[in-house]
Amino acid sequence: MSRLDRQSFLGAESDAILDAATIGLVGLGGGGSHLVQQLAHMGIGGYVNVDPDTIEDTNTNRLIGGTLADVAAFRPKVEIAERLIRGLQPKARIISVQDDWVAAVDDLKRCEVIVGAVDNFKELERFARRHLIPYIDIGMDVHDLAEKGFLVSGQVILSMPGGPCMRCCGFITDERLEQEAKRYGAAGSRPQVVWANGVLASTAVGLLTQILTPWYPNPPVFVFLDYDGNKGTVSRNPRMDLLKTHVCPHHPADETGDPLFDIRAQKFRPRPVMRSATAVAPWWQRAWNRLWGRAA
Amino acid sequence: MKIRFKITSALLAAVRADLWRPHAFAHERVGFIAAGLASAHDELLILAQAYRPVRDEEYLPDPTVGAMMGDQAIRRARQWAMDDRVAIFHVHTHGGRGIPGFSGVDNRENAKFVPNFVSVAPQCVHGAIVLSDTAAFGQVWFGRTSPRPFIAAFSEIGMPVRSWRAA
Repeated sequence: MSRLDRQSFLGAESDAILDAATIGLVGLGGGGSHLVQQLAHMGIGGYVNVDPDTIEDTNTNRLIGGTLADVAAFRPKVEIAERLIRGLQPKARIISVQDDWVAAVDDLKRCEVIVGAVDNFKELERFARRHLIPYIDIGMDVHDLAEKGFLVSGQVILSMPGGPCMRCCGFITDERLEQEAKRYGAAGSRPQVVWANGVLASTAVGLLTQILTPWYPNPPVFVFLDYDGNKGTVSRNPRMDLLKTHVCPHHPADETGDPLFDIRAQKFRPRPVMRSATAVAPWWQRAWNRLWGRAA
Repeated sequence: MKIRFKITSALLAAVRADLWRPHAFAHERVGFIAAGLASAHDELLILAQAYRPVRDEEYLPDPTVGAMMGDQAIRRARQWAMDDRVAIFHVHTHGGRGIPGFSGVDNRENAKFVPNFVSVAPQCVHGAIVLSDTAAFGQVWFGRTSPRPFIAAFSEIGMPVRSWRAA
């Protein structure tokens, strides 16, 4: 009996499919850290974890796996993610990139699915489309309703190459992009809560599992789900049915591939082997860390 | 170097459906897939974009083979490669299940016409693919005299994503 025995309804080959898959996770904050944890539980074998930040005190209300010791140690979020994965998947293939996602494009191109839990989703979706990679976007927000309190909301969108995109479904608009750009500078103060991130990330993991090893026939190719944290519901956005047969005009098929690609100029080199971020440090470093109160 | 060929389920289904159409005298149909290219470390990604069938009138009567294209079909595909700066892959199907393989005739004919694409779009690789009803197999030309490696892996992008090793 394997540790994944209770999910055997996913198919006779599901363990092998999940182990062979490599998932790109862009953004390892509130939403992304939930994703990492659940994918490790599911038995996903490969990860490209991308986040430029180190954990801060104000992240600990929602960053799964993050501890106060990590805050004291200025631990990068990619290291926390790797530690979380290794606890369940010791032999996982993990590439940790402590940088913006544009620094990890070669690693992300090789992913089966990319999940974005970031604000700059527009270019990430285009990148995924260009390389025929299904892209799942999750995001949450809190709206001030004045005397009516606050509305906790969010969305999960599956953008499948060839199908409707986030602009087709009205989620990305020029106005929204402008608003996002203005708010980006104050991103640290945006309200975020662990339970809403958890709902959205769990929903995304369900979609990702459908993409890799579906447990019922013909799941939808385009998914747009709305989360209402006040009502406690996740529901299909009406556009999900309206756009079922829609052909996306924003990402035409002839956009695939790297622009200006020239085989004669390519140098195909193997990826350098990553040093594990959670490898055991030498004794003198552990002693030094303990002396200065830093996490091992 | 590892070579991976990716195609959406919708495009692959359209290709298969077209290739199964009967022809007045040819025993099978053939066509061309255009693809964009990308590199990722030591991996070459071939990313299918569109399919164009060989027209009915472009087949030549030849009872010794399943289908024989005329020069006009190859000229149109060369023009496509040159105008759109795309990689071109000849495609036909053997039907059946599992990973197919090229026949002796396939190998002979591929070696004759695929290098023609290299001369009009040398920035791309080009090649040939044979389909079954469940999988595919293919070969890539890097130049007229360069090695001609086989495609190592295929991915069908849809719900679900299906991947298989072919070489």
